[in-house]
Amino acid sequence: MIKVDFTLQRDIFDVRIKENFHVGITGIYGASGSGKTSLLQSIAGLATPEKGFVKIYDNIVFNSELDINIPVQKRNIGYVFQEGRLFPHMTIEKNLLYGIKRFGSKHLGFDQVVDLLNLRHLLQTKPAMVSGGERQRTALGRALLSAPKILLLDEPFSAVDVQLRSQILPFLLKIHRKVKIPILVVSHDLPDLLKLTDRLCLIQKGRCIGHADYHDLLRSDAALEMFGKNSIMNSITMKVKEIDTDRGITILSNNGEANSVRVKCEKSNQTYKVGEEMKIFISSDDIALSREKLKEVTIQNQLKGVIVETIDRGATTLCIVDVGFQLVVEITAESGKKMFVEPGNTVWCLFKSVAIDVAG
Amino acid sequence: MSLPYIYSMFNQLIKFNSAELHALGLSLKVAFYCTLIAVPLALLVGYLMARKKFRGKAIIESIIHLPLVMPPVTTGYLLLLLLGTKGLLGQWLFSALGIKLAFTFQAAVIASVVVAFPLIVRSVRTAMEMIDPGLEDASRILGAGKFKTFFRITVPLALPGIVSGSILGFARSLGEFGATITFAGNIAGETQTLPLAIYAYMQVPGQEMATLRLVLVSVLISFIAMAGSEWYIKKQLKPKRR
Repeated sequence: MIKVDFTLQRDIFDVRIKENFHVGITGIYGASGSGKTSLLQSIAGLATPEKGFVKIYDNIVFNSELDINIPVQKRNIGYVFQEGRLFPHMTIEKNLLYGIKRFGSKHLGFDQVVDLLNLRHLLQTKPAMVSGGERQRTALGRALLSAPKILLLDEPFSAVDVQLRSQILPFLLKIHRKVKIPILVVSHDLPDLLKLTDRLCLIQKGRCIGHADYHDLLRSDAALEMFGKNSIMNSITMKVKEIDTDRGITILSNNGEANSVRVKCEKSNQTYKVGEEMKIFISSDDIALSREKLKEVTIQNQLKGVIVETIDRGATTLCIVDVGFQLVVEITAESGKKMFVEPGNTVWCLFKSVAIDVAG
Repeated sequence: MSLPYIYSMFNQLIKFNSAELHALGLSLKVAFYCTLIAVPLALLVGYLMARKKFRGKAIIESIIHLPLVMPPVTTGYLLLLLLGTKGLLGQWLFSALGIKLAFTFQAAVIASVVVAFPLIVRSVRTAMEMIDPGLEDASRILGAGKFKTFFRITVPLALPGIVSGSILGFARSLGEFGATITFAGNIAGETQTLPLAIYAYMQVPGQEMATLRLVLVSVLISFIAMAGSEWYIKKQLKPKRR
């Protein structure tokens, strides 16, 4: 658990943040230069705030009044930089071993981390020879092996091209499941963050303007304004119920027969087993609403639910629909009026099985 | 020129007498000790100059670099004023500890260090400035203290600059003349290095062949040092393959 309350002076504006961060992934979202990195740097000790304190679990690592400022190397923090910052003169293996705590690691051992992040074939390679995704995975592994109390990730995807991002997300989710520590992920890419976590901390001009589950944040005007034109990503965790390898379809469900989700997934990617949990993503604007169940359509997923709330977003309307879990659906304001989309109404949420993204 | 004449010339060119060999050996010894002392010092000073901000930095920088542009005789004379038996510090060294520095082998080394030091520092500093400070931050976040970070990240990454600076300093020390003759004198067998021996031979008629011999040796050593340095830099610049 991290507790911060500090003021850091910067050229254009002060960064003044007072927040608590708990175990699990928190997405720090904001525009470039809004103070997201300053927040991470103040926690890590790379930046020294003028006023305030930083507390990691029970340890005060910084307190301006008590004149406490624990040096960076003693704060026991895992930090993954935007560019990875691997040591160029060392092999991937030496990089991973650089900060290793042989006896202190209660989380994961070297072999576990290497296998988890799929790095074994690269161990003897120099950083200059590996891809962007492999570099970030190494940086992540190196941070994990130092047995950190908290993990800070500063734009871990931005140096990686879009295709490779989807390769890092599942690794982060795996780590999140294995290591129970606070993980702060800074990004200016909302869909990426929502794939990782529901909990967001919104930073604007050096202030936190919202810190909650994103379903709740949708009700705040300031938050909605920050989300801008970004489509909202639904991330849903479900159990695998049936795998149809021939048709490349996987059927997921939570409880009961109703509202199971069919996911299109290539045979080669069907690495999961029946009964396992799986995380799927679907963009809010890939979902359509219907008042009745449709017959004779190619759309495979039709989930029945009740509209919980509608949120006006100017040209579009966000509908939060309870289909056993909360689903955010974005429709144009015009069709919203035509369809009498109002809280309490029963609707069917329609989306194609190919519109669903899967994380391992 | 007949063939036998060239042959006898060549024979004379490689016939070193013991005094000449001694001058050569002494030069190498002075240059070796000079490099040994100056390089670690240059690592420290180069690091401070590349990474730290402090008051009076510009002044310290100027003082360090002064021997680079000052006439070496001036450097030697200032050393004499400072460390001579009647000098500011030398007086105390002599009376309190019985240490006499001027006109000894140690003096030749000190003169060399002072003159070669700025060359090495410049090279080390430039190399360290090229290193992304972010890598040092990354090292510290992984739990490494200042020492571990310095020796495992900064120094290895600056190694090309450190090596070429050392070679440059070594070569400069071999060529040192002005400061050495002023502060250490020209004592055969003790402070008479190669350049001083060449100068001494030039003063004596009939020693043209001996002078030429030493000049050629001097050129050869300098050439090897510079070629070695160039080769090393080229090798470092080449992209490394698995």
